[in-house]
Amino acid sequence: MYAIETKRLTKRYKSKIAVDGLDLTANEGELFALLGVNGAGKTTTLRMLCCLSKPTSGECFVCGKNCAKEPAAVKKIVDISPQDTSVADNLTVIENLRLICGICGYSYEKTKEKTEEMIRIFNLNEVRNTRSKTLSGGWKRKLSIAMSLISEPKVLFLDEPTLGLDVLARRDLWGVVESLKGKITIVLTTHYMEEAERLADRIAIMIDGHIAAIGTLSELERLSGKSGLEESFVKIAENHGKKAAK
Amino acid sequence: MNKIIAFSKRNFLEIIREPLSYIFCLGFPLIMLAVMTLVNDSIPPEADMTIFRTDNLAGGIAVFGLMFVMLFTALTVAKDRSGAFLIRLYTTTMKSGDFLAGYMIPMVLLAVIQCVITFIASYIVSLVTSVSMNPLEMLSAVAALIPSMILMVSFGMLFGTIFNEKSSPGLCSIIISLGSFLGGIWFDAEAAGGVLTDICNALPFYHAVKAARLACVGAYTGEFFSHIAITSVWAAGIAVISVTAFKSKMKADLN
Repeated sequence: MYAIETKRLTKRYKSKIAVDGLDLTANEGELFALLGVNGAGKTTTLRMLCCLSKPTSGECFVCGKNCAKEPAAVKKIVDISPQDTSVADNLTVIENLRLICGICGYSYEKTKEKTEEMIRIFNLNEVRNTRSKTLSGGWKRKLSIAMSLISEPKVLFLDEPTLGLDVLARRDLWGVVESLKGKITIVLTTHYMEEAERLADRIAIMIDGHIAAIGTLSELERLSGKSGLEESFVKIAENHGKKAAK
Repeated sequence: MNKIIAFSKRNFLEIIREPLSYIFCLGFPLIMLAVMTLVNDSIPPEADMTIFRTDNLAGGIAVFGLMFVMLFTALTVAKDRSGAFLIRLYTTTMKSGDFLAGYMIPMVLLAVIQCVITFIASYIVSLVTSVSMNPLEMLSAVAALIPSMILMVSFGMLFGTIFNEKSSPGLCSIIISLGSFLGGIWFDAEAAGGVLTDICNALPFYHAVKAARLACVGAYTGEFFSHIAITSVWAAGIAVISVTAFKSKMKADLN
């Protein structure tokens, strides 16, 4: 069984097709990157997989559960760290973590255990009593990911987790994501080539709602005849554009 | 239930940690209480104008303060909807009822606290101005204001659901201005007569103020209960509309 599976997944907004007949799979424990320029359909795909949006046609499954037909079951096994900061501004770091524990219905003991675990994993101790609105972008992203792990998801969606971060904060966050590899399935959207290159087991290149190419970095390099993800991405995008023009 | 408690706690903390909420929800009404008490002192006794006497003013100021709870409810909901915070919560197993209860319970609690503080301040002012006020009757006025609290919180929910973070405060300001005027807080709506009194009677604010004023002086008459009934019907109606709007917006957000 795949952790993620989409079958002819399509999302249409009036005249615009955001995702067009998407077929992809991600294995359990895999870190799968969806790479693409703005408007490629990455976030829309994630939204459908998280039950935040219903497909216009096609189907998507998380651990075998249909996102459109069994949203309650899917919501129990997924979590997301959205693109924008999604923390409660006037709550401290630890209060934000406790909030999610409360929503998960954890006992006092489990809440204490989970919050301390997240503080340790994400090195949040020095800011544990700091209100979120005063945190830097890097700390907020770390907190956001920590909050998404509280529910012990089988599949974690990270929507452009390092967008707008400086190089140090980005590398710090990469370290955190790398530490999660293999433990849970992670679907990461990004338009930073180096991020996908460093973190992902497999990469799907999305262009105009389509999967233009999918595979490991070496497979994409072989397919494009170019070296490095950036060059491969450009070549694949150009070829896709030519095909679309025909 | 855990979900509602956790979300309610978050919403309660979000508001009490917002300095502006103290300025608007407490500071402004209390300043108006002090200013109008001074105005009352300047009114000659032969004018026979008691609208700004502390026992009359207290109920009106309490309703005036509740309108700011409406503003902060609208701001909280609109801000959550415009950001990614609700998106995160939408991916959890929280249902629309959990969100609604999680917003409404802490706001009504804040409204109760605000009313209690307003009446304590009014009682202190009444001691200074030698106006007789009974603390137990003031406590009953807090109870009499419960339908008004639900009404204002529901208005806030509705505006926060329909409008965004920028437009909802503007709309709430219009309601605050109109509500405090047409509620007869700053003038004698009954004495005005004509169309103005008809408009005041047609809206809930006047009835909310009258119910609080009558409770403050222990006048639990038929008139008191009719004002309570009218305010309650309005509160129930606006609550149903706001719940429907929130559920439908949530459904649209998840489509």
